[in-house]
Amino acid sequence: MNTTDALVSVEQVTRLFPLDHNAVTALDGLSLTIAHAEFLAISGPSGSGKSTLLNLIGCIDKPTSGRIFIEGVDTSRLSPSETSVLRREKIGFVFQTFNLIPVFTAAENVEYPLLVQGISGSDRRRRVTQALDNVGLSARAHHRPDLLSGGERQRVAIARAIVHRPALVLADEPTANLDTRNATQLIELMRDLNHTLGLTFIFSTHDQRLLEHTPRIVHLTDGRIESDTISETSHAEVLAASVS
Amino acid sequence: MLKFLQLAFRNVFRNRRRTVMTLLMVGGGVAGLLLVGGFFAFMFRGLRESTIRNGLGHIQIFNAEHFRRDEVHVLDTGISDWQHVASNVRSADHVRGVAPRIEFYGMLSNGVKSSVFMGSAVDPDAERAMSFSPRLAAGRDLARASSGEVEALVGTGVARSMSVKVGDGLTILAVTADGALNGIDVQIVGIVNTGFKDLDDRYLRITLPSAQRLLQSDRVTNLVVGLDKTENTDAVAAAFTPRLSGLSQEMTMKKWIDLAAYYKQVRTLFSGIFLFLGIIVFFMVLMASVNTLLMAMMERTREIGTMLAMGTPRPWIVALFMLEATITGILGAAVGLIGGNLIGIALNASGLHLPPPPGLSTEMAFRVLHVPALMIGASTMVVISLALASILPAVRASRLQIAEALAHV
Repeated sequence: MNTTDALVSVEQVTRLFPLDHNAVTALDGLSLTIAHAEFLAISGPSGSGKSTLLNLIGCIDKPTSGRIFIEGVDTSRLSPSETSVLRREKIGFVFQTFNLIPVFTAAENVEYPLLVQGISGSDRRRRVTQALDNVGLSARAHHRPDLLSGGERQRVAIARAIVHRPALVLADEPTANLDTRNATQLIELMRDLNHTLGLTFIFSTHDQRLLEHTPRIVHLTDGRIESDTISETSHAEVLAASVS
Repeated sequence: MLKFLQLAFRNVFRNRRRTVMTLLMVGGGVAGLLLVGGFFAFMFRGLRESTIRNGLGHIQIFNAEHFRRDEVHVLDTGISDWQHVASNVRSADHVRGVAPRIEFYGMLSNGVKSSVFMGSAVDPDAERAMSFSPRLAAGRDLARASSGEVEALVGTGVARSMSVKVGDGLTILAVTADGALNGIDVQIVGIVNTGFKDLDDRYLRITLPSAQRLLQSDRVTNLVVGLDKTENTDAVAAAFTPRLSGLSQEMTMKKWIDLAAYYKQVRTLFSGIFLFLGIIVFFMVLMASVNTLLMAMMERTREIGTMLAMGTPRPWIVALFMLEATITGILGAAVGLIGGNLIGIALNASGLHLPPPPGLSTEMAFRVLHVPALMIGASTMVVISLALASILPAVRASRLQIAEALAHV
C-alpha cells in the first residue's frame, strides 16, 4: 500500500520532548501504514509512545522529524487553520476521561462537531439522533454528563466522534476508566461501528480485553514498533461488512 | 449561534458561587457609581435651583454697555426704559415673571460702627411671583407699599457684626448717579440667611423705589426673568432675541449658567471626583475580573483542548470567553442597577442630612437622584470592563497547545 492509497501513512516519524538540558525520545523513526476501515490497537507499556503517536496522527501535535499523511495529504505542510479543518472533517476523538462539555446535554455534546462544521439545524438534529441511536443512548439524549454513568459518557463520546462521519476515529485508552462490563460493551460497540459503518478505529490501550477483539495490534516499545500483528481474516470481514 | 450563546450562558453559571461573587462585585461597582453619581446629581440640581431662586433667575437682561465698560457713576450702564423691555419679554412662553433689580454698594452704620454692604434693590411682589423669596432667619420679607419707613433685609453676618435685630434701624450711605453722597435711614424687617457666609456678611436688600431715591436714578441694573422650568432656559432665550432688538438701548442677555460661577466651579470639582471614582471602579472590576476569568480558563484547560481538537476555530474560543464575560457584565450591571436604585430609594426615605459643607451655613439633605444617563453610563462601563478583562484569558485559552491542554490535570 502506498502513501496515496493508505488512510494514514506515518513515515520515519521522530518526536522529541525537551527535558531540562536533554531531550526525551517519545517516538524514534517510526513508520506505519493504516488502511481504510481498519480496527487497530496501539499497545505497549506506559511511556512507550502510544499517546504521542495518536496525537501526531490526530494532528494535535507535530513531529520533530518525519511526515504523516492522511488520505494522501502531508499534514506537515498544512497551516494551523488547515490542520484545524482537517481535524474537524476527517477525525473523531475519544478520550480516556471522556472530555464531554459538562454544561451541554448528551445530544448537545454529540451535536458540537456538526455545529463547528456549520451544518444546518435540521440536518444536525437528524444526525445526532442517528449517532445516539448507533451507540444505544437515544433515551439519555437530554441528560447532562454528570447524570450519566462512565460507560454512558464514553458512549456519548463515541457518538460525538462518529456523528460527522470522519475518516478516522482516534481513541486514547477508551476503556481505562471503565469497569469490565462497560469496557466489554464499549469494545463491542466500537467493533460493531467498525463493521457496520466501515469506520477506521485507531486506539491506544494496554487493556487485554480490548486487544482480544482487535485484528491488528501494533506493539510499541521505547518509541519503536516492536511488533505489528495483523489478522487478515478479521480485516477481510470488516471490508466485506462495510461493502455490504 | 444560538447554541454558542447557550454554551456561553451556561458556562457563566457553571461555578455558581464564583459567579455570584463576581456579580456582587460588578453590581457593587455599578450601585456605588449610581449612589455617588445620584447624590452628586441631587447636589448639582439643588445648587442650581437654589442659585436660581436665591435671585439669579433663569435669564438676566442687561444694557449691552454693562459688559463693555466700567460704570463711571452708579447705573450709567443701567436700563433706562426698563418697563418697556420688561413688558416685551413678559409675554413670552414659559415666563413666570420679570423683576427689575438694582445692584449697588455703599456703607451702613448703626451710629457706632460702620460696615461695607453689597445692596440689592428689588420689587418684592415681582420677586415673590417667581418664588425668589429670600431665606429668612427672622422677621418678614419686604413689603412693596410700606408705612413710610424704608424697609430693609440684612444678612445674618451683618446683623451680628452691627448688633441689630428685627425692628432696629440703620443708616445706609451710597454715591448717587450724579456722584454725590446720599443717605437714608432704614428699618430692619428681616434677617436673611443666604446659605453663603461671605454673602451673609455683606447682604442688604431694600425696595426698588427706595434705592432709586437713594441713588437719584430711575434706571435699573438689570431685569431678572424667572421661568416655569430651568430646562426651558435655552428655548426662552432664543425667543427673547427678536423681542430685545430695535429698542432705544442695545440689550444683551445672560443665561443663569453664564452667571453661576460658583455652581460651575462646584460642578467641575465634583465631576472630577466622580470621574476619578469611576476610574477606580473600572480598574477594580477589570483586575478582579481578569483574575476570575483566568481561574475559569485554567479550570477549563482540558475542555478547551478538547474543543480545539475537534476543530473549533481558535477565534471561536476567544469569542466564547468574551461572550461569557459580556454576559457576566450585563448581569452584573442588572444587579447593580436594581441594587443601586433600591438602596437609593431606601436612603431617600430615611431623611438623612449631612453637615453644612464648607462655605455654606445650612445642613444638606442627602438624596439620591435616579439618573437614566448615569445608569446607562455605569452599566456600559462595567460591560466594557468585563469584555476588556476577558481579552487576556481568552487569548491565552485560544493559544493553548492542544496536546498539553488535553494532558492538563
